[in-house]
Amino acid sequence: MANIFLIYFGKLMSKIFRLLNLGNGSTWPGHIALNLNKNFIKQVLINSKTQIIIVAGTNGKTTTAALIKTALKNNGKKVFQNKSGANLLNGIASSLIVNYNLKGKLDFDFAVFEIDENALPQVLKECSPDYLILLNLFRDQLDRYGEINIVADKWKTAINGLTKKTTLILNADDPQIAYLSKNTETKNLYFGVGAAENINKSTDQAADSDYCPNCGNKLTYKYITFSHLGDWFCNKCHASRPKLSLNNFSIYPLPGIYNKYNTLASVLLLRQTGMKDQDIEESFSNFKPAFGRQEIVKYKGKNVQIFLSKNPTSFNQSYKTISDLKAGVLLIVLNDRIPDGRDISWIWDVDLPGIENFKHILISGDRVYDMALRLEYEEYKSFKTFENLSEAIETGINLVEGKEKLYILPTYSAMLDTRKILTGKKIL
Amino acid sequence: MKKTYSLPTTNYRLTIGWLYPDLMSTYGDRGNITVLQKRCEWRGIKTKILQINHETTDQELNTINLLFGGGAQDKEQGIVIESLRKKERALKNLVENNIPCLFVCGSPQLFGKYYEPSEGKRIEGLGIFDMKSIHPGPKKDRLTGNIAARLEIPGFTNTLIVGFENHGGRTRLGHSVKPLAKVLKGYGNNGEDGTEGVIYKNALGSYLHGPLLPKNPEIADWLIQKALEVKYKKEIILSPLDDTLAKKAKEMIAKKLGVKL
Repeated sequence: MANIFLIYFGKLMSKIFRLLNLGNGSTWPGHIALNLNKNFIKQVLINSKTQIIIVAGTNGKTTTAALIKTALKNNGKKVFQNKSGANLLNGIASSLIVNYNLKGKLDFDFAVFEIDENALPQVLKECSPDYLILLNLFRDQLDRYGEINIVADKWKTAINGLTKKTTLILNADDPQIAYLSKNTETKNLYFGVGAAENINKSTDQAADSDYCPNCGNKLTYKYITFSHLGDWFCNKCHASRPKLSLNNFSIYPLPGIYNKYNTLASVLLLRQTGMKDQDIEESFSNFKPAFGRQEIVKYKGKNVQIFLSKNPTSFNQSYKTISDLKAGVLLIVLNDRIPDGRDISWIWDVDLPGIENFKHILISGDRVYDMALRLEYEEYKSFKTFENLSEAIETGINLVEGKEKLYILPTYSAMLDTRKILTGKKIL
Repeated sequence: MKKTYSLPTTNYRLTIGWLYPDLMSTYGDRGNITVLQKRCEWRGIKTKILQINHETTDQELNTINLLFGGGAQDKEQGIVIESLRKKERALKNLVENNIPCLFVCGSPQLFGKYYEPSEGKRIEGLGIFDMKSIHPGPKKDRLTGNIAARLEIPGFTNTLIVGFENHGGRTRLGHSVKPLAKVLKGYGNNGEDGTEGVIYKNALGSYLHGPLLPKNPEIADWLIQKALEVKYKKEIILSPLDDTLAKKAKEMIAKKLGVKL
């Protein structure tokens, strides 16, 4: 079937979905196009001049993609991106359909695709990117993805198939990510955090892969930034963190060590596209976070800040960031739906240092009592449980005094629910 | 509800052994250690956590009053079994001397007769539990999801336990062991015969992975009580704790699965 027909047809469908307000219709046009022609993506990209940037990793995809898109746009480039959450093959196909013009041309300088961990090997088969940014691999949704070693093995096989057309931009501080460039044809660049603020020598409970990706021996670290990320080396086979192409930048638009990594990845990419540091700095200084990622929402005259916390590492990092901000009132929302991962066992791997400094912690979500149990065993006493999320938010708002913020740590679907209550709008 | 914990003191002391925390912590396994430790502490029982690793000696292992092992990912499981073999005699002695043990997730497989992974060679286990585990290959579905089961430990036969399971291996029990529980909803040992977990002497194995004990404090208290009875050679009755939240969390899963408490 002619692809131009699939594009027209898809565009029409997506208009209808939007008119009928069918919410989650953003992946359907792509889904149908791929069903009718499984080579749709490969074929429509073959003659395109648009440079493809793919961002993958457990944590930080959305923020990194947003930083890149913002900076490129500010610099006068034409950029499009797949819709947040539409990060499988059908999401890519859909975004191509929507962004092809009626003459059948993709009139853009760059496409930024944020890709799901599990879908990455499949996506790389269909489209060989100009740039592939790999941020990290953490334990996340084991019920869906399986163990992280399995994901890393699949990535390695897929990346071995890439050519010198692709530049890999890798997090050198994550041993499993750094190792992905071994024996590839690609051009490889590495970012990492130059020196840690808190020098840790041993990994924490949520750490996943502090074993040598080359020989399986336990790794040694000169320092650890968080989880299993840091300046690593192996005493046995002498593998070590690759030499960094970038280890610091003049401006970090979002707080938290994890956002340092997202920023460094973006800068390394933007420099490759020819952007000057001064221009990068300027666009970063006006950066507004993606929804739910440290996003600030006004509600009943008070400020609410949402820190998406979808797995033990992102929870630990969000918690640390708000503790450093001296948060007083915290709402934790724990759901166990498919986008969250149905298994919430990971809450026992999170660390809660300084929990006694919170004046109030409110808990809600599908698994409110599991989280409450977690706090009970932490011997924290000033928590309240709410089966109803709206009630939890109202109570939180009333407890916040003066210029204080209400901080919310939700899992993925809980973040969507929370935002809907705060803004009255649905995102997906 | 306001909660205060009184901290009585007793002369009781327990050493809790924790197998390879570095290698056997996949799904929040340390929640079990936290629960055992706190439930002892809240009753004035002093605890010491002995983290077992490659260097741990038999002499140290002999001091253990309660033993816990969590789940390892496949890659780590191979490293663990090599190291466990060197401690085989000491560990078998613990179990034969009625020391209460809890093994969750993949670790019971290592203590069974053998485990056949989906790829690679058969792993010979320590043979403490009379059971065999076989992974039917990568094409077969993993047994994943919330699970509810009724305990079969003598004295607890009406107690509902809930948790999450995620395993490829299927386990069949031999004649000299009994199942820990009967499956109401979920898969259990193999998804076919309705058994869940294993019990031999005071050693328990369960596919309910990670933090089994927070929502199932009955098992935690059973382990603590047995540990004290074996160590102090007398009958022990533990003072009750407020388990309202555990009960509510359990109710939520039971409701989700359509199971009666």
